[in-house]
Amino acid sequence: MNDFKALSEAISKGDINKAVAETKSALEAGISAQDILNQGLIATMNEVGDRYSKGLIFVPQMLRSAKTMQECTKLLKPYFQEGDVVSKGQVLMGTVRGDLHDIGKNLVSMMLEGAGFTITDLGVDVAPEIFVEKVREVEPDIVGMSALLSTTMPAMADTIEALQKAGLRKKVKIMIGGAPVTERYAQKIGADAYGSDAGSAVTRAKELLGIDRSEE
Amino acid sequence: MKALKADTFEPRLKVLNRDQAWAIHEAALEILGKTGVRMEHRGALEMLLDAGAESSEGGWVKLPASVVEKALESAPRQIDLYDQQGNEAMCLTNGNAYYGTGSDATFTLDLESGERRRTVLKDVANFARLVDGLENMSFAMSMANPDDVPVESIYVYVFAEMVRNSSKPIVFIADSGNDIARIHDIACQVASGEENLQRKPFLLNYSEAISPLRFPQNVMEKLIFCAEHRVPICLPSGSNAGGGAPVTLAGAMAIGIAENLVGLTVHQLAGKGAPFLFGPNCSVLDMKSTVVSYGCPEWSLTQAALADMRDEIYGLPIWAFAGASDAKVMDAQAGAEAMFSIVTALLSRANLIHDVGFLEYGNTSSLEMVTMADELVAMSRFFTRGIPVNQETLALDAIQRVAGGGPGSIFLLDDHTFEHFMKAQFLPRLLDRSRYDSWNEAGAADLYRACNTEARRILSEHQVAAKPDGVLAEIDRIVKAG
Ligand code: B12
Repeated sequence: MNDFKALSEAISKGDINKAVAETKSALEAGISAQDILNQGLIATMNEVGDRYSKGLIFVPQMLRSAKTMQECTKLLKPYFQEGDVVSKGQVLMGTVRGDLHDIGKNLVSMMLEGAGFTITDLGVDVAPEIFVEKVREVEPDIVGMSALLSTTMPAMADTIEALQKAGLRKKVKIMIGGAPVTERYAQKIGADAYGSDAGSAVTRAKELLGIDRSEE
Repeated sequence: MKALKADTFEPRLKVLNRDQAWAIHEAALEILGKTGVRMEHRGALEMLLDAGAESSEGGWVKLPASVVEKALESAPRQIDLYDQQGNEAMCLTNGNAYYGTGSDATFTLDLESGERRRTVLKDVANFARLVDGLENMSFAMSMANPDDVPVESIYVYVFAEMVRNSSKPIVFIADSGNDIARIHDIACQVASGEENLQRKPFLLNYSEAISPLRFPQNVMEKLIFCAEHRVPICLPSGSNAGGGAPVTLAGAMAIGIAENLVGLTVHQLAGKGAPFLFGPNCSVLDMKSTVVSYGCPEWSLTQAALADMRDEIYGLPIWAFAGASDAKVMDAQAGAEAMFSIVTALLSRANLIHDVGFLEYGNTSSLEMVTMADELVAMSRFFTRGIPVNQETLALDAIQRVAGGGPGSIFLLDDHTFEHFMKAQFLPRLLDRSRYDSWNEAGAADLYRACNTEARRILSEHQVAAKPDGVLAEIDRIVKAG
């Protein structure tokens, strides 16, 4: 096991310069990019996420750590070979048709990114057809849908139906969220998971893909 | 002897000085001139370009100050809202403040069980009737986004339900140019024709632009519809500090005001002189829970600041919030947050103050909370009237009589007390001041239970002025026409 203490501290504090320097010196010391990613970056972000969930730190601090981590990840990219597992999974995110609220969705995307997922963000007012088209194109592991209006919640069901019709439903996991959405509603429309906030979105996403924390 | 008399100072809150007010305004103009906005409605975009705005890449448009200033000049300084019988109800200008409920709560606290449950159309009826029966609630909003009506026509159903259950002015939501036209049809029925409705409007539309700086098609449809039909409208955006806007309050206000100025400009171009209620919603995004708060001091502070900017710069009546909370039940937190925003809104002389009775950051509505707020508004109104100082209130004669009246002489028995006590004191109806034993014997009810009982009483006893059968039938027809 390598010593990532200084790197970890820099990420926790959101000190981008220091973290980048630490990442560089780890690479120079011959530590593999995969180890730096898993044991250094992602492990730290998991801790940061936990501290946020416990109310020990605030959202901007957590997001700054995520940003710091992403800057470090960029340095690792050239070292990865095809076949290396660099992403926890592909997530396709969007606010559903008729709905223009995006702050919650953006926050969920950022948190997932911080936890090692790759995000394709479709924006707001995304019609079921667009979800279908993009699922074909991106082949995500998870489709995330956000709705803040009770009047736009049915668009989530419509999207699931559209995916079904296109024969794509079984190829993806579906996760939904937003203030009026409930666990019950998720079950009713046949979504695979519901997340009440950005933190639980990460937990649910990992569960959906069978990512066990002890494996990380 | 000197005349014992003085003008009454009515306590008033000021939170910005002149320089601060102008600096925020200048910043708003700079946002419009440098960053510009995304105008997604073709007609509105053309109007702006014709008026002197410049288009820039990717559908963005920049507005020079001169274009905006024209709109500020032509918008009326006063908006009069009437009740549904055509009587004067709200004179929105300068220091006049009016409270009312909020719109689309997903849940409500059930009056019978106390449980939080999904809202239905009957809740809209109950809240409208309660508002109708409460002295200090001046206008109705839906307080529910009901689960049991067709989704495409939800705002039409909700509006009709408010009309059936209240005579007070209505602040309403619509989705687009389509349903707002149907809602307008209903309003014309109530007012016996569009001409009457324009002369004595009883409604105001609440639409929202999208922070940061985005103006979607459907929102502009509503804005233009209102301008053309002279339906009063407000267009606050979600410029919440840390969410749709910068985390610092000055920046959040600057962007929220910039967005409002764009709305106002399009509005005045579409209907010069049409009534527009000014003001953004500048709450905060809570940095732990990430909810947009409905109980924070920041929202009260930014709207107090807006009131100062109104007095200093804009002169237009303003939109505000109060009487809401982030608490999940009507507890001490709910009372504290409600009172904080209610009294500061009045002290800063906000004009149209909505969201009274919301819990859980706007997700849940509560009839008890509205009932409590009614009393808190009364308390605040008492406070902001100040202390009249004159011969009668100084009461030197009474002092002479009682003090010189020998043993057993008390103020309570003096005529001066009898004549003045109703006005001189705030007489609570729900806040409990009974002695311990009588409180205990009467069931030891806390304020939540007292408000529950009072809300039930009003709902069962209060009579809403009936509308003619013909009007009600027409409304039914419009609602069902779909
Ligand atoms: C800000 C806001 C706006 C802004 C949005 C700006 C933007 N860029 O997003 C503006 C002003 C544009 C707006 C407009 C409207 N709004 Co609005 N808005 C809000 C408000 C105040 C906060 C929402 C927010 O940003 N919260 C902060 C974020 C971080 O939290 P969040 O969105 O809940 O997201 C978290 C979770 O829900 C979850 N989550 C979210 N998405 C997802 C997705 C997945 C996959 C997962 C797992 C989790 C997840 O995680 C997120 C992070 O923790 C809420 C009330 C409130 N306090 O919640 C009303 C509210 C949502 N709006 C409402 C309404 C009615 C409207 C309008 C119709 C109002 C009008 N007069 O026109 C319009 C509709 C516009 C449209 N067609 O979409 C109602 C909805 C009621 C209902 N049951 O339908 C609310 C509840 C207010 C109310 N009580 O009336 N709004």
